[in-house]
Amino acid sequence: IGRAGAMAAAVTMVVMAAGGGDFSDLREIKKQLLNVAERSRERGLQHSGKWAAELAFALEPLPLNELPPPPELTEEDARDLDAYTLAKSYFDLKEYDRAAYFLQGCKSQKAYFLYMYSRYLSGEKKKDDETVDSLGPLEKGQVKNEALRELRVELSKKHKAQELDGFGLYLYGVVLRKLDLVKEAIDVFVEAAHVLPLHWGAWLELCNLITDKEMLKFLSLPDTWMKEFFLAHIYTELQLIEEALQKYQSLIDAGFSKSTYIISQIAVAYHNIRDIDKALSIFNELRKQDPYRIENMDTFSNLLYVRSMKPELSYLAHNLCEIDKYRVETCCVIGNYYSLRSQHEKAALYFQRALKLNPRYLGAWTLMGHEYMEMKNTSAAIQAYRHAIEVNKRDYRAWYGLGQTYEILKMPFYCLYYYRRAHQLRPNDSRMLVALGECYEKLNQLVEAKKCYWRAYAVGDVEKMALVKLAKLHEQLNESEQAAQCYIKYIQDIYSCGEVVEHLEVSTAFRYLAQYYFKCKLWDEASACAQKCCAFNDTREEGKALLRQILQLRNQGETSSTDVAAPFFLPASLSANNTPTRRVSPLNLSSVTP
Amino acid sequence: MASVHESLYFNPMLTNGVVHANVFGVRDWVTPHKMALLVLLSELGRAGPQLGLLERRRLNRLLLPLLQGPDMALSRLRKAIEECCPQLAGSVHIRLKLMAEGELKDMEQFFDDLSDSFSGTEPEVHKTSVVGLFLRHMILAYNKLSFSQVYKLYTALQQYFQKDEKKDGADENEMELTNPEELDGKMEKEELDGPLREEEIACSGPLSQKQAEYFLSQQASLLKNDETKALAPASLQKELNNLLKFNPDFAEAHYLSYLNSLRVQDVFSSTHSLLHYFDRLILTGAESKSNGDEGYGRSLRYAALNLAALHCRFGHYQQAELALQEAIRIAQESNDHVCLQHCLSWLYILEQKIFDSCVLLEHSVNKSLHFGLPYLASLGIQSLVQQRAFAGKAANKLMDALKDSDLLHWKHSLSELIDISIAQKTAIWRLYGRSTMALQQAQTLLSMNSLEAVNVGVQQNNTESFAVVLCHLAELHAEQGYFAAASEILKHLKERFPPNSQHAQLWMLFDQKIQFERAMNDGRYHVADSLVAGITALNSIEGVYRKAIVLKAQNQMSEAHKLLQKLLIHCQKIKNTEMVIRVLLSIAELYWRSSCHTIALPVLLQALALAREYSLQYLASETVLNLAFSQLILGIPEQALNILHMAIEPVLAHGAVLDKGCAMFLVAKCQVASAASYTPQKKIEALESAILNLNEAKTYFAKVDCKEQLRDVLYFQARLFHTLGKTQERNKCAMLFRQLHQELPAHGVPLINAFK
Repeated sequence: IGRAGAMAAAVTMVVMAAGGGDFSDLREIKKQLLNVAERSRERGLQHSGKWAAELAFALEPLPLNELPPPPELTEEDARDLDAYTLAKSYFDLKEYDRAAYFLQGCKSQKAYFLYMYSRYLSGEKKKDDETVDSLGPLEKGQVKNEALRELRVELSKKHKAQELDGFGLYLYGVVLRKLDLVKEAIDVFVEAAHVLPLHWGAWLELCNLITDKEMLKFLSLPDTWMKEFFLAHIYTELQLIEEALQKYQSLIDAGFSKSTYIISQIAVAYHNIRDIDKALSIFNELRKQDPYRIENMDTFSNLLYVRSMKPELSYLAHNLCEIDKYRVETCCVIGNYYSLRSQHEKAALYFQRALKLNPRYLGAWTLMGHEYMEMKNTSAAIQAYRHAIEVNKRDYRAWYGLGQTYEILKMPFYCLYYYRRAHQLRPNDSRMLVALGECYEKLNQLVEAKKCYWRAYAVGDVEKMALVKLAKLHEQLNESEQAAQCYIKYIQDIYSCGEVVEHLEVSTAFRYLAQYYFKCKLWDEASACAQKCCAFNDTREEGKALLRQILQLRNQGETSSTDVAAPFFLPASLSANNTPTRRVSPLNLSSVTP
Repeated sequence: MASVHESLYFNPMLTNGVVHANVFGVRDWVTPHKMALLVLLSELGRAGPQLGLLERRRLNRLLLPLLQGPDMALSRLRKAIEECCPQLAGSVHIRLKLMAEGELKDMEQFFDDLSDSFSGTEPEVHKTSVVGLFLRHMILAYNKLSFSQVYKLYTALQQYFQKDEKKDGADENEMELTNPEELDGKMEKEELDGPLREEEIACSGPLSQKQAEYFLSQQASLLKNDETKALAPASLQKELNNLLKFNPDFAEAHYLSYLNSLRVQDVFSSTHSLLHYFDRLILTGAESKSNGDEGYGRSLRYAALNLAALHCRFGHYQQAELALQEAIRIAQESNDHVCLQHCLSWLYILEQKIFDSCVLLEHSVNKSLHFGLPYLASLGIQSLVQQRAFAGKAANKLMDALKDSDLLHWKHSLSELIDISIAQKTAIWRLYGRSTMALQQAQTLLSMNSLEAVNVGVQQNNTESFAVVLCHLAELHAEQGYFAAASEILKHLKERFPPNSQHAQLWMLFDQKIQFERAMNDGRYHVADSLVAGITALNSIEGVYRKAIVLKAQNQMSEAHKLLQKLLIHCQKIKNTEMVIRVLLSIAELYWRSSCHTIALPVLLQALALAREYSLQYLASETVLNLAFSQLILGIPEQALNILHMAIEPVLAHGAVLDKGCAMFLVAKCQVASAASYTPQKKIEALESAILNLNEAKTYFAKVDCKEQLRDVLYFQARLFHTLGKTQERNKCAMLFRQLHQELPAHGVPLINAFK
């Protein structure tokens, strides 16, 4: 009877959640969310419950008569009620073994899930404790969650008999994933999503298991409004930022504009594509709405760090520290804060603390590597980066950091490999390309270097240095025409962006252009550039000297040179004849080596 | 012979040619196996005088490998002890049983008692003896354990013991133990575990630290010495991955995985593993906190050097050069002369790939001697000898140099280099055309007892030198017409160096060359032609040459000529003198086949001069034969006979059977031709001796089954018999000729006009 009841409940849920990306009935959605939040909480799935509750909070409140009724109790539920109530309280107090003991033999779905889940959590907790005192370095990696195998056996039996509800399937999937049975785990999670689409945990696990777009294509997912959230999330994970932003925008348009979850995801997405200003403003907005939020604040602090906004970062760090100082994110923010104040030892200490709190927290390894780099402790930095790579092979920052470390150790050839790896992971990130170019330049492989710089410019240079470097390379190779073109483009770039950051490079650009035009006997342009030169300290004298020379030569050749047309002038003439097209050509970076 | 050295120049686990198995850190942990050993030791102490002398000796011999070896199952340990002293094995088992089935305090008590053996006026164990050190290590390690660790150790001991018990029980009475309920549970479990099985076999029992170290060093040395005995690449990689999953910090596993990837020529994963290894090594090196000689500065240098080696192996010479420059720069900055020396040797290898020069090499040898690196110095000398041999330097000096370096090898017992040296001598003798000497050297190496066998216990016979020597041996046999023996040797080579192994290309080339020769002898030109592609894949120059020969044999003279001219220019450019001479000979042959003997003469003289200059004696003799033939055709047989006397001796002594036959045939022809002007009496004598020579030629040709030549000889002989009026013999020859003639297709070239 119980089984039939569970199935019936599952079926109703499917019916309720169906509607394929249709957000017309927000009230219905809200009802579903409240329902699932309650059910998740009953089973101790706090994160899923929180997610649902957060989302529900973003929607309009329901009038009393429309509130969802509390979930109906079946015969079995009633029988298990006492054991369940007792065990749930133990469970909430993290006494998992005790909870499992009292739940033995319970037949109702809810109690059974809690029984299995507490056994799983107890195993996990013991595993974490074991790691601290194992009997030798080789045994360290061997510490396993002993409960997993038994759980798998029992759950797979139930699974075969089709006795698992959505939550049960989710737990089965988690167990499979922990046993590294990825394929089976994906299948089970997909099934869980079909049976109970409202349970965000199953979707989230699926996100972690899907590694590329192709895999995503071949999944048959239930056609519900939850799928939209899932897709947006996974697009962010797979660095398909454009698509993710689109999805989130449409979710906001559908009525979730108040959801802090969506706002934070959008901010993270902007962070990923390095649109710092937008990300910052969104984060600020988020903090206004949800001032005690700790999640995602590490990303926020990264942004503040990049912009060197010391007071803001300091405020954030103190604020978070007041809220909860033993959170990974808090430690990370404080680490960033110290790093910005150049107190790298302390920063490293805080990142270490973050790792102690959660050894699987990837970002801290990389950040710690950066700190060690600052401290010139290269071997520790290498260690930290390698750890980061171990946790996630696709962490391009760690690869890049390793490259930088070896570059500091003056091994430009050696670091090529690492930069290439980073470049593979972020093909359109100019920083890796510039780094690669610099290495090639050091190795005197100028052709390769030129390719890298040009590509870096073509994919959109962040630091605006690629063009100057390219120009200097051309200068070195006596390709004055191309050098001049690059300088022109560079100046155009700098001025079009409004702020002039590197005076030094601008002045060198003008100096070169002045000389170039002078050699080409284009007096007007030459004198214009020379005048620009006078605006900078380091080139003032040269500029003046050049102006004098020009004047002299002009007076001499007055008659002959008057009719020379002036094809170039800044900035109108910049697009003239043979400027290289800004097209991204396939780049063949010595394909022989990996 | 060209690549004899390359693979030996580098290997970080290897200094002066010796693999250091114990490069891994030594850190002791108490394991159940070690506790069993401790029990054994204490029992040994307790039994004391009651043990017989023989038993005691056996046990002492057993102890050392047990202390150093990897952990093993209790049953195996018990068996080992039983073989030495059954009585002791029993008491050890009882003590363990008491401990495992008792309480935690039994184990605690045991460890407390352990240290007693040191105390007293006359302690049972000396503190500094091997056993004493082991005991102290263990006591220390035990005392360091935390409360929960002690408990864990105890449960591990219980499991260790129970596993053994269960095994025994299962052997004796299976039915008793498995009551129906349990059986049921088991069945279900097995059913469900279906998909899991596969992975579990791979991670069969996580290895302990020691076991992992032992596994790695064993596989590494097998890879170096005897690749076929090592695990197959795929399964080795699986094991390594498994090992790394459990302990990612185990740097050496990455290095082994690099070596393994090299075996299968995988650039990507080998680079990945190599760099990962050095990243990890830097970590362990960093503990010593020194940037100088030891520690991580050092590993940085070697990292760059190894990267250079990797690129060189995959033929990325430009990349290799860049990496090498880097290594040299860092080594210079930190004044590491030893590393610089390694760099120099590599630099030489690289330079050799790009263009030859031996200045660097000489320099390298001198420096290596100066810094006391005999291994590098010897390798340098060997490379130098090899190069000089190609450059045509005086043979006696080269042999002297090899002898001197041999002295060095024997002194330092560098058995690997001794092998190489012998292989090199074989190759050099072959180059000079002294097949008997080559044969002798080859046999020396094969029948020599390797020094290594004493050292490690691994027969070091899968190195490149053995491959080289065996290949030469096969070819020598084939030349003498012992094709069965040759194919036997090749079969052996195939077994020893499976097709995907490192040195397999060597025998592949020789195999095809031998087949090619046979096909040419039999006149199956289409078969020979089909082999050319295979030869070209392994050695392009050889391939082109063979292609030209096939074309020549098929009477496509102009194509052959074009090809040979191109090859000549190329070989002159790369200074491959041996090939130049062979090409010149072929060109000359083309000329006289087209009856342009006057043009052939200067070509032949050029070849002769070259062969003499580079002391390639055998090629010189062959050139002389060609010259004599030209002279014969030009109508000066007396002159031809004169110069033939020079060549005939070396040809008969060292030549291939086919060449011997050709030479004798030519002599006979010259004799006949010059007899024309003799008095009748003398003429008859001359003709009779010519017939004898022809007989000899006939036997040679018969040996290698050259029917065409045989036919020619028979024809010639029949004519001579006819002239001498010996009808019966003439008829016999004529009949044999007729038989062969029917078998073979008609020949375009007039019979008498051909030499070879």
